[in-house]
Amino acid sequence: MKLFIFAILASLSFSSTAQIKSAKLQASGLTCSMCSNSIHKALETLPFVDKIVANIKESTFNITFKEGQNIDIDAIKNKVDDAGFSVANLALVVDLDKKELKNDTHISINGLTFHILKTSEKVGNANEVITISDKGFVPTKVFKKNKALIKMDCYETGVAASCCTKDGIAAGTRIYHITI
Amino acid sequence: MNITKQYLCLIILLCSLGLSADLYGQELFVFSEPASNMAAKGIGLRLTSMPMKNEVSKKIDNYANIEVMIGVSKKLMLHNEIYFSNIAGNSKIIGTGFYGKYRLYTSDAVHRHFRVAALSRLTFLDGIAARAPINLTAKNSGAELGMVATQLINKYAFSAGFSYLRGWDNGKYKFQNASLNRDALAYNIALGKLVLPKEYVGYDQLNVNVMLEGLGQVNPVTGQHIFDVAPSLQFIIASKMRIDAGYRFRVLDDYSSIYKRSFLLRFEYNWFNVL
Repeated sequence: MKLFIFAILASLSFSSTAQIKSAKLQASGLTCSMCSNSIHKALETLPFVDKIVANIKESTFNITFKEGQNIDIDAIKNKVDDAGFSVANLALVVDLDKKELKNDTHISINGLTFHILKTSEKVGNANEVITISDKGFVPTKVFKKNKALIKMDCYETGVAASCCTKDGIAAGTRIYHITI
Repeated sequence: MNITKQYLCLIILLCSLGLSADLYGQELFVFSEPASNMAAKGIGLRLTSMPMKNEVSKKIDNYANIEVMIGVSKKLMLHNEIYFSNIAGNSKIIGTGFYGKYRLYTSDAVHRHFRVAALSRLTFLDGIAARAPINLTAKNSGAELGMVATQLINKYAFSAGFSYLRGWDNGKYKFQNASLNRDALAYNIALGKLVLPKEYVGYDQLNVNVMLEGLGQVNPVTGQHIFDVAPSLQFIIASKMRIDAGYRFRVLDDYSSIYKRSFLLRFEYNWFNVL
């Protein structure tokens, strides 16, 4: 019982410190300022987005989030898709201070579940950069290449499969695959 | 402008397109639509004026249209046009038209994209003579079904499309020699390059594009062929407003067309995320 209570407290403490602070998104398929503006305007409509600083030349958007809001990573991708373009890269700055980071394990950040595909196996810091590798967050060619190498059902579908249940994650849970 | 001057302008334009600079191009063509779509949930408004030199009356006939564009989804966009002309004296509405484009294929990378789209147009006009060659954006009722592919690579944009056209009667005005002339195979090629700004720093910078388009049409029954060349300039203001200025002239004409030269002036404004 003591162990159970300790586990709950540990998980509460984990979720209170693991926060997504900001994101750097690079879009693909555009070269013009009007196209960049259409992505900018679409991202602005997300309720959890606080501020966006665009770099038109690099097709990048630095996004800061409102404090205490749930962040919907898929909604960010969908806004870029709806504007007529694609996500080439999405990196999140996350507070993982003192968290042990290991390959092929799951972590919870802002209530979202992340599967660590590749890390240098270390103790995290307050400003770790995690990069999403799922379908729609990387170029199609990269996703296909990764899929052939990773060979995990959860990577192909983006939801928890038998390979995730060892960490007690319910089947069907949205899983984001990351490199740190 | 005589033919020699026209070719001189064309050569200057081609040279300017060939100048290299570390800039990025845009896919927003003036006389033809690219495969690229507008943003979902966006609305665009276009006002277009096309003064055409009438080779018979030697006067300038003006054709104009108001166009509303809607980004229905990330793949589907729809337009509705209202057409005007002063050919019968005062400028008046001569009909309406509908245009739809559906994106079939997408291949994106940073600073480049390749898109293929299917397109269709329906135009319903009245009050003006219906004759070949077919122009569904000014003087013919009819239907169009086609495909277009657009490639963007950094500062350049290339586009090519083909379509099948069927001309109808313009209300009570019967299509002249309909059995011979009502069908056409149309094709277009387009090249564009961004020449300003030197370097992007913000959405308020003026963007200037230089475009060159070629627009052809072949009658599959008679083999008659027309081909137009259309250089144009495009200004993008505040990343949401666009002004196009173009000149279109016929370099191949098997029809003895009454319109061989025309100007185009267009104003476009876009509202994002309004639906």
